[in-house]
Amino acid sequence: MALMPKRVKYRKEQRRVRPRKATKGNYVAYGDYGLQSLDGAWLPGNVIEAGRVAAQHFLKREGKLFIRVFPDKPISKKPLETRMGTGKAEVEYWAARIKPGTVLFEIAGVPEATAKLAFVRVAMKMPVKTRFVGRRVRV
Amino acid sequence: MLQKTPVLQAQNRDKTGTRYCDRLRSKGQLPAVVYGHKQAPVSIVLNFKEAVSHFNKGEKIFRLGIDGAKDKDGGQVVLLKDLQFDHLGTNIVHADFARVDLNERIRTRVSIHLIGEAKGLKTAGAILMHPTNEVVVECVVTELPEFIELNIADLDVDQQISAAQLKLPGANMKMITDPHAILAQIVIQQEIVVGEATAAATGAAEPEVLTAKKPDGDAAAAAPGAKGAAAPAAKGAAPAKGAAAPAAGAKPAAGAPKK
Repeated sequence: MALMPKRVKYRKEQRRVRPRKATKGNYVAYGDYGLQSLDGAWLPGNVIEAGRVAAQHFLKREGKLFIRVFPDKPISKKPLETRMGTGKAEVEYWAARIKPGTVLFEIAGVPEATAKLAFVRVAMKMPVKTRFVGRRVRV
Repeated sequence: MLQKTPVLQAQNRDKTGTRYCDRLRSKGQLPAVVYGHKQAPVSIVLNFKEAVSHFNKGEKIFRLGIDGAKDKDGGQVVLLKDLQFDHLGTNIVHADFARVDLNERIRTRVSIHLIGEAKGLKTAGAILMHPTNEVVVECVVTELPEFIELNIADLDVDQQISAAQLKLPGANMKMITDPHAILAQIVIQQEIVVGEATAAATGAAEPEVLTAKKPDGDAAAAAPGAKGAAAPAAKGAAPAKGAAAPAAGAKPAAGAPKK
């Protein structure tokens, strides 16, 4: 079952313009290594779940995986061969808003090489270009 | 400590703004600013490679050799206060320095280096968690360490080391971080199935809509929601008592049609 919110204020939402750069959630905060998106996208809940499964199958019971994004945006879609109009369509799936720079997943408690291999498998599931990042220098 | 203080060569920067800063960065320089001690802030420019190599080592106290300034004792002592990164976090784009005196007490973050291999990690499924990687300390500038070492060799499963247990290297050093903050702990990893857990908790394929119009009257009795179902049942069972024990009143109401 894909991730989705427990309760929302409104059933449907406008699409809105995707902002350019991630100004928050753009560094490794909880784990030691992270998978950072280089593109913007709406990341569906089932894709996030697929990434989680891919990482945890590889890690088995080693380390801890953090999911840094949550699909809280309802995406509606009209059925096929439907004429335009007659109101907004029903919600098809829930998506997380991803901006370039957003950290999608983090891993703690495993060596760098293991984390890299796990994230290679996760990156295959993602619809965006990603890269492996470590913790940033902090002052 | 202070004998080892690195010197950063800097030049004054009279043109400020995004465009000029971008030009400096493309030339291999790093824009920065120096402020504090009730003096006017000064915009400066540093050599990018030299500055970043020091930042990556964890050094925070520097002597600034600004061209044209009167350097009585080797330049102004400054504390690295902040670093700005680009949106991907790849490059440092700006640095902030605060003027400090040698005998001044300052508050800053010091990173924690874990040393040794914890004995609890030999247990199957055990992982080392270190939620807090750095602590905020207050000390004299000359006593500020680049990092603090924490030995975790004796750490066993379900044990933890908090900030209060950390031995600070300086006698006059004071811990500002919450003493209950966990620096290192060993936990047994439990497999958490997030997707199933969320679905089980919600119990539905659609989330609850807070602003949705509530069904009234008979329509509410037919509605599957827990609140909507309980209230009309209580009404039908005991109309005179009203709010008295809705859960108890719900039972006869549900049983009545069966008879």
